Amino acid sequence: MTFYVVRRVAIGIFLLLLMSAIFFTLTRVTPGAPVSVGENPRIHQEQVNRRLHNLGLTDINGNPYSIPESYVRYLGALAHGNLGDSYLYNEPVTTLLMQRLPNSILLLGAALVVALAIGIPLGIYASTHQYSKVDMTTSIVSYIGVSIPSFVLGIYLLLTFAVFLKQSPLHWGFPLFGMHTGGVDDPLDLLIHMVLPVTSLAILEIAIFSRFMRASMLEVLHQDYIRTARAKGLAMDRVNYKHALRNAILPIITLVALAIPQIVNGAIITEGIFSWPGTGQLAFQAVVDRDYPVILGVVMLVAAGTVLFNLIADVMYAVADPRIRY
Amino acid sequence: MAQVPPLPFGPAAGPNLGAVPLSETSIDQERDVMAQPGVKADELAGAPELGFWRLAVIRFLHHRVATGALLILGVIILAAIVVPVITGNLYSVQDYRHPYKVPFQSWQHILGTDDLGRDEFARLLRGARVSIMVGVLAVVGYLIIGGGLGALAGYYGGWLDNALMRFTDIIISMPFLLVVIAVTAATGGVRLSTVIIVIAATGWFEIGRLMRAQFLVLREQEFVQAARALGASNLRIILRHIMPNALAPIIVSATLGVSGIILLEAALGFLGYSIPPPEPSWGNMLSEFEQYLLSDHTYLVIFPATALVVTALAINLVGDGIRDALDPRQR
Repeated sequence: MTFYVVRRVAIGIFLLLLMSAIFFTLTRVTPGAPVSVGENPRIHQEQVNRRLHNLGLTDINGNPYSIPESYVRYLGALAHGNLGDSYLYNEPVTTLLMQRLPNSILLLGAALVVALAIGIPLGIYASTHQYSKVDMTTSIVSYIGVSIPSFVLGIYLLLTFAVFLKQSPLHWGFPLFGMHTGGVDDPLDLLIHMVLPVTSLAILEIAIFSRFMRASMLEVLHQDYIRTARAKGLAMDRVNYKHALRNAILPIITLVALAIPQIVNGAIITEGIFSWPGTGQLAFQAVVDRDYPVILGVVMLVAAGTVLFNLIADVMYAVADPRIRY
Repeated sequence: MAQVPPLPFGPAAGPNLGAVPLSETSIDQERDVMAQPGVKADELAGAPELGFWRLAVIRFLHHRVATGALLILGVIILAAIVVPVITGNLYSVQDYRHPYKVPFQSWQHILGTDDLGRDEFARLLRGARVSIMVGVLAVVGYLIIGGGLGALAGYYGGWLDNALMRFTDIIISMPFLLVVIAVTAATGGVRLSTVIIVIAATGWFEIGRLMRAQFLVLREQEFVQAARALGASNLRIILRHIMPNALAPIIVSATLGVSGIILLEAALGFLGYSIPPPEPSWGNMLSEFEQYLLSDHTYLVIFPATALVVTALAINLVGDGIRDALDPRQR
């Protein structure tokens, strides 16, 4: 087990390095200089050079680093927990990320919890009541869930609740953790503001979880030992919830880990739409403004998170299912 | 009750391939066929000359929701191809005297006009064209790259197999949208061809994995051994013997892939990383939603959003119908 974890961590670090190399190269070969003011004749060349140097793009004499050279420098800085400076905000990327990360974790965590709390019971019920009305409704909802991107759902929700019904604020430019003050001081207000963005992020995961849970449960329910349990005369509930569910719910652990990059994907635009001051909105702005260090930072953060959660999921899987040996 | 014979998977299938344990599945299979109104069970059971694909088509057509979705999809595709040819460049003709015409008021502009007086209906159809083109071409890319590499990896194993799995691990742990954006930006920006190539180049891994899994199972089957014993070359075994049997789940995945790509393209367009503005796409029509939310022109947001969702939903329903038709055991 220990060996397995060590090996997985090593592979994870290797993956992250490979990814950072690919992404770093991509952002460097992209046309467009970060200091376009260089074309303004009133700004002295020396200042431009200093700016480029401060951004880590050129050495002290204004000669640009080659891509491998600057990648090594980037990694060196990364080892010190430094992801470089944002072109736009003139601040370290890590500072920006840390400011916004709590807000995102709050939103994405809530979406994930809601999706699990709704999707899994729905899937279980649908599988034990196959072809019932609830089953049909669940599959209809899950079809819609996978066919509607979270940003479109966000726009629909804004239109319905903020514009037509005038029941919720249109914009969420309100203080949260570390942004200004307040926010957490008024949990009810916070909750109200979270309803729409959480809904639009959770619907896809609800669809995926309920579908998967239904299929997984049905598969287990067709196994011989379930038939044996029923033949023994055990109560249906006991068979369903004790014998079947315990085995059927295991793969969900992996699914949750895989859901993370998906939710982040949705959050990039959804946070922007709802003006939620999180990492997704940061990435959204960075994409619009082509602020590559920030994009790179967000990608690395998400990738590291995914690798970590995949590892945790695999370890948890082994703990939950004693049949699995590494 | 007539038993439905186990379905062979494709024309070149070996005898034992479709031989699923009947005890578990025959009831579902029977219900599947029996439940179809208008098809006599004897007709299906007693007609072994009906091929796999013919049977699949029959099963698909008896799936009412999927057939309806296919019809809707057909109308959308047909309209997207035919109408812009008739209306010409109506989608880009600006009419400053009639901006923001209310929809459903005149035949001239059935869905109204946008801020520059351009016909919304023509723009939506032009956008449909973009979406469908990107979706179909990128999926063809998926099939070529993913199908090819997956087949080779599954058949030969070795380093190619390892590389494929590692690549998938990388892709799966990244926020896909940011990847596509970074690659699009790095490869010189926002032409439609770039978008298609980038999506195809980064999204093929799912089909690749599926194809690999199919080949891993099928290459151990007896009909493959038989072909090999008869002296068939590897290429012949891959293309003639294994490929036809591996296709069913690939077709389903490719169909569902089209809707995924259409949604992705819309997200890219929304962020300004797809086809640039004078040319309409559903994504970039939505990107100015903020300025319309509080105006009287919310239809300019509702129409493209709904077109997007209806199309994606129709494709997903068709894909699921195909899945049920190709493999009734999976229901």
